[in-house]
Amino acid sequence: MRRADVISGVILAVFGLITLFIIIPWQIEPGPAGYMSPRLVPVLMMVLITGLSVLLAIRNLASDAAPGDEPPLFTWAEMLAIVKIATVFAVAIALYFWVSPAVSGGALVAGSLIALGERRPWVIVAMPAGLLITVWLLFYKVLGTAIV
Amino acid sequence: MIKRRTLLGVATALSFSAFSGPVLADDYPTGPITMLVGYGAGGQTDLIARATANVISKQLGQPINVINKPGVGGAVAARELTHANPDGYTILFNSNALINLAPFVMKNADFKPDEFDYAGMITAFQLALAAPKDAPFNNLAEYVEWAKKNPGSSYAALAPEARLYINEIMKKTGIQVNIVPVQSGSEMINALLGGQVMLAYSGGIHYRYPDQLKSIAATTTFRHPSAPTVPTIEEQGFQLGMDTRTTLILPKGTPKAVIDKLSAALKACQTDADFKKVADAADIPIQYLDAAEATKEMTASTAKNKAIMKAAGIVSK
Amino acid sequence: MDIITGFADVLTPKILMWIAIGVTIGYLVGALPGLGKATGVAVSIPLTFYLHPVAALGMLIGIAKGSAAGSAVSAILINTPGEPASAPTALDGYPLARQGKAQKALKMGLYASVIGDFLSTLVLIFLAAPLASYALLIGPVELCAILLFSLTFIGGLSGRSLIKGLIAAAFGVFFATVGIEPETFVPRLTFGLLELDDGIKLVPMAIGMLAVAEMIAQAGNLKALDAEFEQIKDGTAHEDRVILRSEWRRCIPVILRGTFIGSVVGILPGLGASVGSFLSYAATRKASKTPEKFGTGMIEGIAAAESADNAVVPSSLVPLFALGIPGSVIAAILIAAFILHGLTPGPLMFKQQPRLVADVYAAMLCASLIMLIIGSVGQRLFAMVIRVPLRLIIPGVLLLCSIGAYLETSTVFSIWVMLFFTGLGLLSRKLDFSFVTFLIGFVIGPNLELSFRQSIQILNHDPANLIHHPIAMAFGFLTLGTIWWVGRGHSPVVAAPTSATRNSREEEA
Repeated sequence: MRRADVISGVILAVFGLITLFIIIPWQIEPGPAGYMSPRLVPVLMMVLITGLSVLLAIRNLASDAAPGDEPPLFTWAEMLAIVKIATVFAVAIALYFWVSPAVSGGALVAGSLIALGERRPWVIVAMPAGLLITVWLLFYKVLGTAIV
Repeated sequence: MIKRRTLLGVATALSFSAFSGPVLADDYPTGPITMLVGYGAGGQTDLIARATANVISKQLGQPINVINKPGVGGAVAARELTHANPDGYTILFNSNALINLAPFVMKNADFKPDEFDYAGMITAFQLALAAPKDAPFNNLAEYVEWAKKNPGSSYAALAPEARLYINEIMKKTGIQVNIVPVQSGSEMINALLGGQVMLAYSGGIHYRYPDQLKSIAATTTFRHPSAPTVPTIEEQGFQLGMDTRTTLILPKGTPKAVIDKLSAALKACQTDADFKKVADAADIPIQYLDAAEATKEMTASTAKNKAIMKAAGIVSK
Repeated sequence: MDIITGFADVLTPKILMWIAIGVTIGYLVGALPGLGKATGVAVSIPLTFYLHPVAALGMLIGIAKGSAAGSAVSAILINTPGEPASAPTALDGYPLARQGKAQKALKMGLYASVIGDFLSTLVLIFLAAPLASYALLIGPVELCAILLFSLTFIGGLSGRSLIKGLIAAAFGVFFATVGIEPETFVPRLTFGLLELDDGIKLVPMAIGMLAVAEMIAQAGNLKALDAEFEQIKDGTAHEDRVILRSEWRRCIPVILRGTFIGSVVGILPGLGASVGSFLSYAATRKASKTPEKFGTGMIEGIAAAESADNAVVPSSLVPLFALGIPGSVIAAILIAAFILHGLTPGPLMFKQQPRLVADVYAAMLCASLIMLIIGSVGQRLFAMVIRVPLRLIIPGVLLLCSIGAYLETSTVFSIWVMLFFTGLGLLSRKLDFSFVTFLIGFVIGPNLELSFRQSIQILNHDPANLIHHPIAMAFGFLTLGTIWWVGRGHSPVVAAPTSATRNSREEEA
């Protein structure tokens, strides 16, 4: 964990500096005269973060955990899961715009079922259908309101 | 297999889309209405807004969700309103100072009367500078005296126009006062009651606490019915008397049928017993104006206030 | 404030039905490892938009309560606590289940939960209003100091590193500044996106960080989790299925002790249900005549853990109701729900809406009793739910989360927000940054900023004026004390639960 901490400390410190000197001045105008600056609290927080991150990095640099005895940050299985679910979401969002929200929802469920290893066709069809119908019933009938 | 899924998807999609049709003005409202309020919960505007929402909801037969969007005296809520559909399902209930006063004080919050439609006005504000009852001053002159001996005291401002008054007083008399921002009438009252500030700009809700708070100047053009012995700010030497009212504001382009329905529903507030109870608790005067009168009042008061500001030499920042 | 009128209002079929639905959802959510009450409530808030306020709030609080109780089920049956706070329950519950006494264990878990929850609700009812009358003493300066202390305390306790906790809190406050600044009307960090004018919405953020990230983390661990599905033995002897009188006699004092510990832990901001249940378990073990038997199937262990874990929930609403300060993630998420339904938590609430407050109190008490019914009736059924493989649960939860996020703005933008914070949630789980602290920082952020600016004005830009604000100074010292104490490594690190998901202990309180 130590090496990860040093790296996160450094990255956060750099992020803090970039935010302080580039993003905040770009995104927040100085306020009108006589008011307290809108930049005050964002700047304070970023200063705090930058300082603490540097502290984090230094503290863990000085620690004596031998490199190489730490587990990798993301296992292969986790990275694969992230990629798979991200793809499913991308497809679902695209379908939302190109086809319709209902198809998008169905694709989300069906897609993630497949991504997680489900192979039984009747489940892949029945679950999205069933869930969508339940959602439709719950919102449009019981609660009496539309979602889309 | 693939064909079945596609069919199912198409069927579901079709059945969904069958349920989202356009909303016609004739059967307005067919669903819940969102009422935005430009101040935090518990203050005068919020209380009247919720009371009004109750009445309108009863009249129109649909629930009204009151959502507080405090900030800049209602400008934050107004900004959200400009992005809403002009179909009557998003309305704003606020002091009209947001359009006829604040823009002259704050350049950023620049709203013009013709940017919105108006369904009516219902109550007037007994605007005043309020102080704790036991404060050692009873009018502006005495306050200035006291402030000179106690520099660095605090003043609670809940809207840009609140700053206007204290800034002018500071400019003219040279006292030094810290402006403490608050987001609603209830925060303002708390600040006064808790002794955090010695003076505050109030919309009249301080009359709910006659044993603990008093007015030292009425900033309206008339003396308050609740405190006829307190002189107006004009009588005390500052030509800055300006009146405001609570207004039902709608996005520009709302159909006339919808506006008229809201206007008629708003009128029912005059005769509603619950509404009167809320208004009477703080001596709030009920003065109904319908859509046409409200629109006229907006343009007239904006022009009037603009002239007052110009004469006083106030420049928006 | 008349609690009798409260009951009159609440004892209607419709409201009771929604409370029951809430408790049921909560129980289910709690029983599923990885989903906790914070997630359940966050996902359900949009569903309550169109409900009557008392029904909505009753349902949401019902979810929180039911989930604290339901988490015992998976702890006992599959040695995987449904929420980190039920980890001690697993220590003795699972061995009992292996001995064929699963039903006895489940019953004790339920009864202890209900009693702890009910008594703690009474604490809330009797304590909140009196505390609120001291609220005027708390001006902006004091509030700022209290918020700073809470944030520091919370940051120090969740996670192994104070520095990381503080960084997470600072990020939370920073993200809260996105939007139009309420004093000067200046847009901040909106990058020209209109949708950000009103700031980042809590619900999509919470759903992304808590639920979706957790689902993906579990998806990445599917093989290991599937392997944990084992058979649950069900005893046939009668004494294995009910609680004997002798056991009740031993457990009553344990439950009372657990309720007390849980209530106190709940009132103090930032500690969370896990601290409560572990403290209670440890205290009971210490007080027992046979401490060495704990961990082999002592029913007192279940009683201790579950009563405390449930007692934390209502009492964590005390600072929320009395002062408007959320002391836990669940309180923070509930603030949004309260405000949405017209109740602004804080001292004024008692004066301005006494009826609604009475209704909420009555609803909470009813929820406790309903929990007893639903738990008893549903125990068999709930046990079966856990057997549903994760690969079927995850897609359903993803859909529910997406709908919940979407409802916030009716545009895909909030889905993007949800996904963005899912990414942050995954990173923070891996790098051991507390996303709970982040969320609390985000919720407290606007209050902290406003009170900070007000304080600067009230203090006349001069820190020496703090002398006039002794309460604020006291909290200031407490904050410094926390930093010093935790920074030196005395942080009560919560033992990691026996769950395959790393860092799932963050998903608590």
